[in-house]
Amino acid sequence: MKSFLPKLGLLAAFLIIGAFSAMALDGAIVIANPNVAADSLTADALKDIYTAKTKYWANGQPIIIVLLPGKTDAALQQASGMDGSQFKTFWQRLTFSGRGSEPKKADDTAALVALVASTKGAIALMPLDAALTGVKEITIQ
Amino acid sequence: MKKNIIGRLTQSLLFASSVGLTVCQLDAAELKLLGTNMPSLDFHGFVSQGFMVTSEYNYLADNTKSGSFEFFEAGLNVSMNPLPRTHITAQGFMYDVGDSGNYQPFLDYASIEYTFSDYIGVRGGRIRKPSGIYNHIQDVDLARTYVLLPQGIYDARWRDFTTSVDGGEFFGNIPLSKAGDLSYEVYAGFLNIATDSGVANFINNRLMGGYVTSFDPATEVGSQIWWNTPINGLRFGAAFGYAFNFNYDFREPTGAPPPFASSISLRAKSSLPVQQYSAEYLWKNWTFQAEYYNVQVSQDTTSPFGTTHSFVPQEAWYGGAAYRFNKWLEAGGYYTEFYTGAPATVSSDSSQKDAALSFRFDPTDWWIIKVEGHVIRGTALLQDNASNPIRNDDAWFMLAVKTTFSF
Repeated sequence: MKSFLPKLGLLAAFLIIGAFSAMALDGAIVIANPNVAADSLTADALKDIYTAKTKYWANGQPIIIVLLPGKTDAALQQASGMDGSQFKTFWQRLTFSGRGSEPKKADDTAALVALVASTKGAIALMPLDAALTGVKEITIQ
Repeated sequence: MKKNIIGRLTQSLLFASSVGLTVCQLDAAELKLLGTNMPSLDFHGFVSQGFMVTSEYNYLADNTKSGSFEFFEAGLNVSMNPLPRTHITAQGFMYDVGDSGNYQPFLDYASIEYTFSDYIGVRGGRIRKPSGIYNHIQDVDLARTYVLLPQGIYDARWRDFTTSVDGGEFFGNIPLSKAGDLSYEVYAGFLNIATDSGVANFINNRLMGGYVTSFDPATEVGSQIWWNTPINGLRFGAAFGYAFNFNYDFREPTGAPPPFASSISLRAKSSLPVQQYSAEYLWKNWTFQAEYYNVQVSQDTTSPFGTTHSFVPQEAWYGGAAYRFNKWLEAGGYYTEFYTGAPATVSSDSSQKDAALSFRFDPTDWWIIKVEGHVIRGTALLQDNASNPIRNDDAWFMLAVKTTFSF
């Protein structure tokens, strides 16, 4: 019994830490325009955004996804459950059937940060080594 | 008059699209209206040109045995979010597939939607009709591997009948906790079918010398439900549609000598219940798809001599897989079967089986090229009787090539 209690405590600690720790995306963090009301998202909520199930922030502002092709592909797959090609096709289907607006694209990290900083409602996956200038980080739980 | 105005407006939009594609940068365009505080407009567009050649019969166009370029699509899409939770979008479109389309521009869809929450939203106007994996995007060449979708389900000549309704729909997504989630669309609206449409061509072809003089505006209700399973990338769908009052007037030659009438007027009244079931699995670089489609055409035809009833069931299915090797190459194939008429009467003229192998090349983000081969047995989807007077049950072949530019 004595040896069982520490193990139970350890398991509970892992579960609590797991529940509240940030989800690590592969080589990227989530950034957003400063006027976005949210400071954190669950992994499921992030996936709902990248799969167009959630298209508006809580205040009704449209969510604008900004992409950095080739730099954050692994994180995009984690966030959306689709590889780059499948993700592109998915959004083209929505766009050309009148059910959504295709994500915007940036050519490099500086352009990505600038675009997110200047676009209300924007969200993006940004490489870890880039500077947060005019944008805020969204914690993924 | 109304059609002319809409046609001219759409033609102007498509012309602007072409100019945009050739003159401006090939990337999504965004315009700000009257200053920075106004909502932005997003423009996207595409232009596709295809080529088809067949070995035995003229298929989809009336001259494919000698090679046909009558395979064209162009669309310009504009959208904006003018108010919170509000989305407005419209698309002008023109196409040419054999005798259908004929480069006539039209308003493909134009709708306004309001999303109350992730669970429910409402969309109204001319809306794309959801049915299966491809119905609402069957003309968007860049959003699939294949040149031709399985024609027993997604007939390229019927798009003016199958893709849009004037009406509205509810849509949303319902989480099912650990069972994934359920997305739905429930719609109702009117179908406006022209006497020079692909559907009219199909009916005219069957009338053997007769022709459709007018269509009633038909009413259609339907729904599409997708269960997005907890397994990432796996989803199952079911779609149901019911078109009421699919009625039309037509004339048929009597063959009688003068002074008797050379033709008589008839009226057909139909109802079209449609069901479609779908499965799709995106796994690593693979895409697996399978669908089954069934429509039961029940029709009463009234002539001066009385009313006759006919019943024609049609069904089709396909299974396919595609694999993306890298950023610029994807290969895929499918096998599909189509049947029309009672199962007991199946012949090569009432069935069509098609095995397709397709290669898609993406040289750039905005340019794709596809090459596709088909081995086909059966002639049920040929339609063009005058171009295909003699038929048999031998296998025949088709090569389709298509290129698409988009922004």
